[in-house]
Amino acid sequence: MRIGSMIYMWLSALVLAMPIFVVCAAALNSGRSMFFPPREPTLARFKEFFISEPIWTEALMNSIIVAFGAASLAVLMAWPIAYMLWSSGSKLSKILAGLGSMPFAVPPIVFGVGLGFFWAFTGGLGEMWAGIISHAVLLMALPIVTISIGLQSIDRSHLNAAATMGATDQVAFRTVVLPQTIPYSISGFFFVLVLSFNEFIVIFFVSASSYATVTLQIFNSLRNGYTPTMAVAAITFLSVSIIVFAAVARWGDLPRLMGADPTRK
Amino acid sequence: MNTASHDPRALLRKTAMTVLTTFIIVLCVAPFLLVLAISFGRKVEGAAWVWDFTFANYQRFFVGTLWPDEVTFLYLQQLSYSFYFALIASIFAVLTALPFTLTLSKLSRNAQAAWLVFIMSSLSLSEVFIVMGWDILLSNNSGLPKLFRETGLTQWLKDVGWFQTLRDWGLANPRNVKFKTSDFATVLTMSYLVWPYAVILLYPALSRLDPSLSEAARTMGAGRWTITRTVTLPSIRLPLLGTTLLLFVFLLGTYVAVTVFAAPHKQTVAVAIYSNVRGSNLNAPFGSAQAIMLLISASFCLYLGHLLNKKAEAP
Repeated sequence: MRIGSMIYMWLSALVLAMPIFVVCAAALNSGRSMFFPPREPTLARFKEFFISEPIWTEALMNSIIVAFGAASLAVLMAWPIAYMLWSSGSKLSKILAGLGSMPFAVPPIVFGVGLGFFWAFTGGLGEMWAGIISHAVLLMALPIVTISIGLQSIDRSHLNAAATMGATDQVAFRTVVLPQTIPYSISGFFFVLVLSFNEFIVIFFVSASSYATVTLQIFNSLRNGYTPTMAVAAITFLSVSIIVFAAVARWGDLPRLMGADPTRK
Repeated sequence: MNTASHDPRALLRKTAMTVLTTFIIVLCVAPFLLVLAISFGRKVEGAAWVWDFTFANYQRFFVGTLWPDEVTFLYLQQLSYSFYFALIASIFAVLTALPFTLTLSKLSRNAQAAWLVFIMSSLSLSEVFIVMGWDILLSNNSGLPKLFRETGLTQWLKDVGWFQTLRDWGLANPRNVKFKTSDFATVLTMSYLVWPYAVILLYPALSRLDPSLSEAARTMGAGRWTITRTVTLPSIRLPLLGTTLLLFVFLLGTYVAVTVFAAPHKQTVAVAIYSNVRGSNLNAPFGSAQAIMLLISASFCLYLGHLLNKKAEAP
């Protein structure tokens, strides 16, 4: 029976990997259309995606700007909220955390439509900074959660010890709280980064076709049929995700972030 | 402490908090309020739309524009298709993810971390890429239908007579099996979309299961299946329900998978919102009314999930 459940596990992994594998293999096609298995495998599409086709290089640049901007902003906004939740648990902090998680919890198309109207009235529609803010607000829930988990792991007796030894609040914050939560803040940053890279519907409504990220560019080309260059984009994005999550697993505690029982090894 | 209010640092902190609070209230609440406000607006023929306070959009959503002379449930039907696809896909995802996660939670910590990297990577992969992958796999000239034909599976299905059954289900044309467009392909892709989420959401509850309980049952002579049925399943009943609900809400807004895989007459509310607000219809007020109805359905389900969670945490 033990073998049976292991087989099931690997079978699930196989199904999970199947469409990803097909997309990746399609990137090797030399022709203009997608075939599987690929015909005349070549790496020319990679050159197109990263160097020679301005449509894709610009889209990639936009994706990177939006993702890094949104991730930084989201962590900056989430930090004070998570810290307030932990240190005072005040009503304001609970309201802020609740409101901050709301866009992530409801169907994204509703939030996307709302932001589309909002930026149309405030003059941000089609501006890159509006896209950055939109993604930061949409995904802020993630760093709030990871930073809260990090703060909860702080041993309060360390803070008491610091206080009895004469450390001011600021010193205790700098020497006890901050170092303990940095890995969790970085994890939150990377979660936002990866999800922003891959997000489609909200950025569609707020970009108003005046700029395109890679996911948008792919969706736009969807009607004209797939080209192997899109598959290169998929490979790039997948590699970024794997590297990021492997880094989080290596330097942070991924099982704990995902809610595993911290006392059990 | 009484000098705190004069301390420039405290003042700075207070200002920063006020700015943050304003920012969050404006950005997290205003978009939803705008959708609500515009849903009462009115479309002007040949122009965009104007502010108004009319319930016409909601009337159209429930019974159609020509009510009471003529009644149409077209838009309610779109909502029901949203529910239909999301419900089947979320239940299927949870049922198939459960044994996987159960096995995962029993592995060593390092093995768990490695699997989680894999799960998280596929979770974050954009809907656009996933639909692209399944589209290649399911389209008629490549992928599965081609595989069926070349391996003789199609011929075999025809010989044993099951081909007709597939045709009745809309999964075949006269020559070969076809999966585009079909409910099967839609539900499959949607379950695939949320499958990693199902694992991530079930993982905390399953990894906190007390192993001593099932060990006790085993020493008392219970078989593996009996343990699963009498110990494991009852203790995760609520997380199981909660996860299904969350995935269901998430899937209510699926857009790309539905446009590509669902038959034209089975398009969902999300697709309708899109074509009203940004697409060819250009009827933002009606699109907003549809978005509000979708939001209400989703919030109701989230509230149910919240109640379940509370019940699960109560001793």
